[in-house]
Amino acid sequence: MTERDEIIALANRLRWEVGGNFHDSLMESLYKEASEIVKKTVRKKGGEFAFSLDRKIDKIVTNKWTGFPIMFILLALVFWITVQGANYPSELLSGLLVGDLYGFLKSAFISLNIPGWITGLVVDGGYLAMAWVISVMLPPMAIFFPLFTLLEDFGYLPRVAFNMDSLFRKVGAHGKQALTMSMGFGCNAAGVVATRIIDSPRERLIAIITNNFSLCNGRWPTQILIATIFIGSLVPAHLAGLVSAGAVVGIAVLGIVFSLVTSWFLSKTILKGEASTFNLELPPYRPPRILQTLYTSFIDRTLIVLWRAVVFAFPAGLVIWSISNITIEGVSLADYFINYTDPFAMLVGLNGIILLAYVVAIPANEIVIPTILMLTVTHFGLQISGAQAGVMFETGSMEVTKQILEAGGWTVLTGINLMLFSLLHNPCSTTLFTIYKETGSLKWTVISALLPIAMGFTVCFLVTQLWLLL
Amino acid sequence: MNKVVPDCENCPVHNVNNLIKLGIDMSSYDYVIALAGNPNTGKSTVFNALTGLHQHTGNWPGKTVTRAEGGFEFNSHKYKIVDLPGTYSLLSISTDEEVARNFILFGQPDVTVIVVDATRLERNLNLVLQVFEITDRAVVCLNLIDEAERNGIEIDVRTLSKELGVPVVPTVAREKKGITELLKYIDEVATGKYVCKPRRIKKRDKKLRQAIEVLKYKLNKVFPDLPNLEWVALRLLEGDQEIIKAVKSGEIGKILQSSATSINRESYSGEIKQ
Amino acid sequence: MDPLTSLILFGVGALILVVFFLPEKGLYYRWKRALQSTERVLIEDALKHLYDCEYRQVNCTLQSIAGNLDIGSDKAAELVERLESLRLITTENGNLHLTKSGRSYALRVIRVHRIWEKYLADETSVPETDWHSQAEIMEHELTPAQADELAAKIGNPVVDPHGDPIPSVDGDLPGREGVILTNLKENDFAVITHIEDEPKTVYAQIVALGLSPGMQIRILENSPTRIVFEADGDEKVLAPVIASNITVKKIFTPEEIREEFKTLSVLKPGEKAEVIKISNALRGQQRRRLMDLGVVPGAEIKAELENPFGDLTAYRVKDTVIALRKNQTDHIYIKKVEKTNNE
Repeated sequence: MTERDEIIALANRLRWEVGGNFHDSLMESLYKEASEIVKKTVRKKGGEFAFSLDRKIDKIVTNKWTGFPIMFILLALVFWITVQGANYPSELLSGLLVGDLYGFLKSAFISLNIPGWITGLVVDGGYLAMAWVISVMLPPMAIFFPLFTLLEDFGYLPRVAFNMDSLFRKVGAHGKQALTMSMGFGCNAAGVVATRIIDSPRERLIAIITNNFSLCNGRWPTQILIATIFIGSLVPAHLAGLVSAGAVVGIAVLGIVFSLVTSWFLSKTILKGEASTFNLELPPYRPPRILQTLYTSFIDRTLIVLWRAVVFAFPAGLVIWSISNITIEGVSLADYFINYTDPFAMLVGLNGIILLAYVVAIPANEIVIPTILMLTVTHFGLQISGAQAGVMFETGSMEVTKQILEAGGWTVLTGINLMLFSLLHNPCSTTLFTIYKETGSLKWTVISALLPIAMGFTVCFLVTQLWLLL
Repeated sequence: MNKVVPDCENCPVHNVNNLIKLGIDMSSYDYVIALAGNPNTGKSTVFNALTGLHQHTGNWPGKTVTRAEGGFEFNSHKYKIVDLPGTYSLLSISTDEEVARNFILFGQPDVTVIVVDATRLERNLNLVLQVFEITDRAVVCLNLIDEAERNGIEIDVRTLSKELGVPVVPTVAREKKGITELLKYIDEVATGKYVCKPRRIKKRDKKLRQAIEVLKYKLNKVFPDLPNLEWVALRLLEGDQEIIKAVKSGEIGKILQSSATSINRESYSGEIKQ
Repeated sequence: MDPLTSLILFGVGALILVVFFLPEKGLYYRWKRALQSTERVLIEDALKHLYDCEYRQVNCTLQSIAGNLDIGSDKAAELVERLESLRLITTENGNLHLTKSGRSYALRVIRVHRIWEKYLADETSVPETDWHSQAEIMEHELTPAQADELAAKIGNPVVDPHGDPIPSVDGDLPGREGVILTNLKENDFAVITHIEDEPKTVYAQIVALGLSPGMQIRILENSPTRIVFEADGDEKVLAPVIASNITVKKIFTPEEIREEFKTLSVLKPGEKAEVIKISNALRGQQRRRLMDLGVVPGAEIKAELENPFGDLTAYRVKDTVIALRKNQTDHIYIKKVEKTNNE
């Protein structure tokens, strides 16, 4: 035994003598010292009036009657500003990137005599997917997160966790999951990173796995489009807007329900246990530095979206172009897949095209709709002005989109199922990558991917079969 | 004898080899500063004020979770500054705390700046005192002093500095108030012009006291230059795995100034074996 | 396929999954458990039982082994023979004794068991009533080296969460101090040092009462039908059969006797108190974190806010506001500073 091992052995022996719980006395002595110092150096003139403003705000935002309305109004406001505010810049970006720049690149490639397949692969595939992700994702991200950050800086978010904790405690989760969940409405990857504020590993894993049930910015446009086309058209025109908005909110609320139910399920099965460590500090309110926050948060998000577009969406675009343009014996790879999976997809009320779109759009959910439209037109050989076989596109008008989808065999049921499946499927690859980085475990990454898919297929299956039965 | 006196007056004391292991490249810097503090004390704002960077800071405990680095120059010295994760303590073995603690212990920063919230001094001092157990070279940044004043809290900075044995600088980091003074003290401590005598806990339970003494005696024999024997002894008693490993491998003996006389510890421990 | 058929097929599929994978009761788990009761498990359980007899200084027989391991007496006889041939035990007038190697083997198993319990208690959120049963499985699966590694990871603990000492690597185990709860007289003060975790149902009852090692009790009544005592301020009643599973250490010096106090959970918003003690039921990381946040004995604490559901309260302690759940505040003992202090 070396001298060093002897020290360890001695320490182990002494630990017996000192007794197990001397951490307590250690902390007590530290605090005793601290309070002695404070007594000598700090004078409080404020008395009970100190932080009285904080207390007044707290009384209101955590009150039984006003707490929840304030919370809902604030969150609804954030979402409303995001959805409304993103419209115009999205169109602008889309016109610029998907319209002008795309046209320019294409003609430039052609005039440079670059082989057609390279032009297709790079411009129609990679570039277009990238352009789509930027125009769909950048505006809402750049609006949602700065707003959310303002609430955070002010100190309001911990109060949301404080209000919501009861629900989460009952399903075996941490109150702070309310925040990571809200964060997920912006971007699931950001929501997963935010789970770091939960310091007990079990509850943190639950928050990570269930974050996907928060409908993220990348999926809002799909929901709104499909709801308008298929749900809104079920009712008289003057109610259409309201009903389709209600349907989207319904899906988001359903996501919260799934999030809670899944947390509960995980607490009862693979992540069995009771809520362990819980601590939530309610910091003093501080006036946020609005301009600086908006600026830094805006830059942060823009960088993330751009990074994601290049790293994940570009390759996805290459794949999408390839599968619909590479043919074997005259049939494209996409068609093989569609024909092969169609019977199964029909069972869950979807179709092969949707399944394929979700497989190739794993890197970025924003391109699901353009991919579906492209595949539908190509697969059925439809003649649509402005659409070109094998190239992703989105039509400017709802009517044309509706025509294409109906020609592809879509019904109201398909629409409902697509909305459900858009909520319940594997997280996008950015989120999966983040989950892997945060948990450091392949097992939990796989579970986070497969659990929602299994739930999605089950829910869609039940909805379809019951719908057909009734 | 627990205190290591540098060979020269203003030599850096940080441990270059360990810093490289911790992922910090010191090749173009003179000194390394660690920034520690409770969550939500404006630590990141202080970091931004010192470096001119724009790291997002949030009013939410536990915002900075990854380590941020930056650099600045003051008094013609080049400083690297490392923003450690915000922690309530260094004793509870969470990942964040381990990161912060290991950096202070093994990286041996030339100065550890502890950011404290002036409105919540007592709770924050807990961490300050814990940092003092590990390192001698510290500056306390008494941030949010404006908020404290607004709420009728008056702090006697001079007495506080005397009680703690290190410089205490009141700041309002978001308005960049007090930052120049903070820089001045960082520089003085780093260059050895200001010699800190951090306050350490003396009163302890008798049984514990004895156990610590026995361990200290043993430790001192094997690692005669160890600057924080008492702390290491306490960690061993608490069964801190990281420290046990470091003692077992002899790694702990290497956390000395790179400038200190190096002794071949292997042969040395062989000699004194009874 | 018509919808009805597919729905029925789905239902059947789901049912099969449930039958197989229902936690604890599912066929898969039953099958896994059945695989685990191999010879090694029987041997180790028998040794543990014998060690326990030795520790409690009672005689162990073939019958007691059969009863304890829940096996037939034929099988028990076979097992005893096997143990003898391995020189782990000796027989003397029907009484079984451990040999030296038998004892050290038993201690190794006990060490793993208690380390695992400590690990579950401190580092995971597995409910208290499941600690023992999970440790019963792990004690046969971990190698001593793995156990040592785990012990090191959780700070080489010296006692398990029930108050039992954990044998050291060399097999040292201090004798158990104290007396059985039923032996105390009225008005005796004592501290709980140990709670036996077997049988499970009895242990669950004790846990349900909120008793844990380290608690101070005072006997109010001790009759053949029931034992009434005060534990950390609350009155508890136990049947003697159950009380005999609790070991206590008597306190004689009055300084050690704590005055009556309440738990933090009774504090209403606006009321102030002083923290007296954090119960041992709050362990590991949770306990440390509480202390990090300033909840230490001697600290002044004031209930400040309740959440809209009324089940989460925020407290002001050392100038910070911290929300704590009821399952935590139930285990923090306080002394009220002022009777009422409504703002």
